[in-house]
Amino acid sequence: MPAAEVAARVRESLANLKTKDLKDGQVMEVLSLAQQLTDTMQLFFGSLDQSIHKEFVYIADYIARTRTEISKLRPNDIKEQRIPTAGAELEAVVTDTERATETIMHEAETLLGAQPGDLAEYKNEVDEAMMRIIEACSFQDLSGQRVSKVVESLRHVEKRVSRFAATMGVHDADADEDEIAEAERKKKLHLNGPAIGGPEVKQDAIDEMIASDLDQNAIDALFD
Amino acid sequence: MAVEMSMPILVVDDYKTMIRIIRNLLTQIGFENIDEASDGTEAFEKMKKQKYGLVISDWNMEPMTGYELLQRVRADDSTKSVPFIMVTAESKTENVIAAKKAGVNNYIVKPFNAGTLKAKMAAVLGDF
Repeated sequence: MPAAEVAARVRESLANLKTKDLKDGQVMEVLSLAQQLTDTMQLFFGSLDQSIHKEFVYIADYIARTRTEISKLRPNDIKEQRIPTAGAELEAVVTDTERATETIMHEAETLLGAQPGDLAEYKNEVDEAMMRIIEACSFQDLSGQRVSKVVESLRHVEKRVSRFAATMGVHDADADEDEIAEAERKKKLHLNGPAIGGPEVKQDAIDEMIASDLDQNAIDALFD
Repeated sequence: MAVEMSMPILVVDDYKTMIRIIRNLLTQIGFENIDEASDGTEAFEKMKKQKYGLVISDWNMEPMTGYELLQRVRADDSTKSVPFIMVTAESKTENVIAAKKAGVNNYIVKPFNAGTLKAKMAAVLGDF
């Protein structure tokens, strides 16, 4: 029952009591105080109702806006199309690369192990092996196209997620325990992976570091 | 002292192709007794059973990395003196320093060629 209706009923009851022939002055005083209290409460609950109403309208708007933004994010398209397709493309790249590597390695190993007798026959063997190696290298064209599709999909997802985060004012939550543990493990074991654009420290510099007598304090300082 | 070309060499890598490449390079150099393992755990088990003249290991493997293998090899009396070369794509200064601190004998960054492998092996084992 809304606060205004409750207050109206209380006021009505008080009015009824006042019309009755009550002789006791104290009772009349209590009724008067109750009347004032009811009026005050009506004002209070009235403002409360309006405030709650505004809150609910805001929440409803927010939910509607969130639903719209989630729908623009097209999560089902990402989950059912973009990511599976990108995964399949990458798997195909791995398969194509493995197949080409196997062909190239096989041809190279065969030639390395060859015991040439007749020079003309050996040259013919080498020529044919070289052609098979060249043919196998055609995987690079296909892999390049597949990787481009994956990059395009990632950019698409990145664009949608970025827009969603910006619109909804989303801030990153802390990483969960598993992610933190994995990050700490990688740090402890120095698992950085290959650097983009070639080795971060070139072989010559590594040779110098390996050959040098590094002071223990200098080594420790690199890990602080 | 001359390097014994028949000494057993253990190649550790989780990619079969890389093992095959190193095996071919070693064969071309003249080493024929080559064994392989796909991670640090398998490698250490093999090292406990057989004495190798050299270990050539990748860094980034699961469940036991090459770095952990190196630490374990150096901590065990029966394996601590086995020469150990790290062959890896990990090329940060911290990686090289960590490997050196753990007792690596040499460090090769991928991609590498036969000449580099031979030179580092010679630096560790002596000329052959």
